Amino acid sequence: MCAYIRALTLLEDAGFGWQIAEGGTGSEALTRQGTKMASIELERVSRRFANGTYGVRDIDLKIEDGEFVIFLGPSGCGKSTTLRMIAGLESISSGDLRIGGRSVNNVAPRDRNVAVVFQNYALYPHMSVWHNMAFGLKMRGVGLEEIDQKVAKAADLLGLNLLLQRKPGALSGGQRQRVALGRAIVREPEAFLLDEPLSNLDAQLRAEMRLELVKLHRRLGRTMVHVTHDQVEAMTMGDRICIMRDGQMIQTGRPLDVYANPADIFVARFLATPPMNLIPAQLTHADDKLVVQIDPTTHVGVPPKHYAPYVQKAGGPITAGIRAEDIYETQARPEWQRISVKVVAVEALGAENVLIGLLGRDKPIEIQARLGRHFFAPVDSIVDLYVDTEPMHLFDTETGKAVARPPLPAGR
Amino acid sequence: MRKFGLHFGLILACVIVLLPPLWALRTSLVPESMSYSTEIFPAFTLDNYRGLFAKNRFGTFYVNSLIVALGSVIVALPFAACTGYAFARFRTGGRFARFAVLATQMLPPVALVLPAFAILRGAGLTNSLPGLILVYSALNLPFLTWILMGFFEGVPADLEGAAMTDGATAWGAFWRIVIPVSLPGLAAAGVLGFILSWNEFLFALVLSGPQTATIPVSLAALQTSNGVQIAKVSAGVVLAILPLVIASRFIQRFIIQGLTFGGVK
Repeated sequence: MCAYIRALTLLEDAGFGWQIAEGGTGSEALTRQGTKMASIELERVSRRFANGTYGVRDIDLKIEDGEFVIFLGPSGCGKSTTLRMIAGLESISSGDLRIGGRSVNNVAPRDRNVAVVFQNYALYPHMSVWHNMAFGLKMRGVGLEEIDQKVAKAADLLGLNLLLQRKPGALSGGQRQRVALGRAIVREPEAFLLDEPLSNLDAQLRAEMRLELVKLHRRLGRTMVHVTHDQVEAMTMGDRICIMRDGQMIQTGRPLDVYANPADIFVARFLATPPMNLIPAQLTHADDKLVVQIDPTTHVGVPPKHYAPYVQKAGGPITAGIRAEDIYETQARPEWQRISVKVVAVEALGAENVLIGLLGRDKPIEIQARLGRHFFAPVDSIVDLYVDTEPMHLFDTETGKAVARPPLPAGR
Repeated sequence: MRKFGLHFGLILACVIVLLPPLWALRTSLVPESMSYSTEIFPAFTLDNYRGLFAKNRFGTFYVNSLIVALGSVIVALPFAACTGYAFARFRTGGRFARFAVLATQMLPPVALVLPAFAILRGAGLTNSLPGLILVYSALNLPFLTWILMGFFEGVPADLEGAAMTDGATAWGAFWRIVIPVSLPGLAAAGVLGFILSWNEFLFALVLSGPQTATIPVSLAALQTSNGVQIAKVSAGVVLAILPLVIASRFIQRFIIQGLTFGGVK
């Protein structure tokens, strides 16, 4: 692993086939020379299976050249299918897919100039590491001398020099991952399509690789599409995340924007650990105040600046969404509102303590709060906590959609 | 004690299985006149083997068998590989085609042998090795297709995906990736097909002639009106078993070797 980190650091100096915009991301990477634009556009793209069900339905998305986009969603949501459609490994039932402005619906995978890194790496088991990396170049009729140069360079950068003669069966998981990455890199594709490439690695290696992939993207400046079900990867790696469920794209946006302004309950819960607390309540309007009434004795007031968008829902059921980190053990600001919680457990994580408690008396609701690492409370005791209600979201109880309101600034 | 019981049982089973071929080996090395002797090994001779080759043209039949068995595998294997791959990866032919392939195996051979004879006679291929190779290829094809379909289903489809994004055509992915990865499976299927053809009797009896008979037919011919020449039959059986013993060693190795060794996690 050390060799790998060192190797990727070398990548910065080596250039490796691309002109490097120092520290460049996104648009700066467009200064790349001698290559076509590789924006990827999906227009009402669907994948229908033989039995009439949809794997993916009506996806509209434009991925800019050089952008790092994350497809995030639970398993079976269609994110891998979408990626495979971009790669050409899955046929498109309807809609239009364009790479670099050219419609590629009926273009073979080999003519799309994209590289895929598969979840299981899909290394050719009967070929050595060298041949695995050279295969794509050979298929494209590159001369042996040039192949040798390119493979040697990539191997150097990925710390694979000593492994070139080995077969994949004799490599560790992390090494196989690097070979899969190297196989993609040597071809200098227009876009990298990564299908959960980190999910087979152990936790520590995954964290390191996460960072390395981000660095790699910055250096290569190529379009990258990364599929994952891990919200940490989604939050930290991409320029943009696209959250998918049941074959549809629910929300796209910059990670922190999506985090601050989830479109519905699903996104709100999926994008955080611990997930957002969802509290069924009544929205009441009395004495010119808008109040989230959780039960007769428990309520949280809506901040006055949100009255206008929320007042239309007054007098009906509502689901209040409060993030675990918006609950505090002390009242630092006067507008924070006190709630009483019965302690179920306190999980000490070292840097912070997560309190799991019951809110409300009649039908208690379990909530989680991220509190300071010095907070402790005995099980079954009642503690007072304080809610910052400004980032609180209200969701329509029936549809699960967020009640529209002006977006919160990201990264509050 | 339990272990002793287990081993005793296993040894007994081995003896039961091995006794007939061992007895054939013993009979083949004993002079004809003492074949039915109650002594375990009354005398040693190689006359049975010599006689088999000198008087019964066993060498010709042996070569015939080798040609026919190898030939039928060489002809059938490529077709079986393509068909099996199509069945494993695509919806080619639907369920009906798969069932049809399996259904051919359910017919009794007798029902096929006369039509086969009629076809070969029409084509002028009776009493010829090419005719026999064609018929054995047809007999092997469904069986090999079915086996190879199973092997190809075990090859991860992502390997082909990787090859195709790497610049290979669908055929290129099949030829350069799937076939090499499936070599153990192809070898195992080939050996099984070889054994089937090697042991086949009925079709060979009906379709071959005096010059083109195979080992099973020539051994049957040793049951003459003067009685069964048991010593020669035994010698023939020993020689006939030989390639199968070698083949079974291969097949074991290939099947144990497994399909994908570390290409995917």
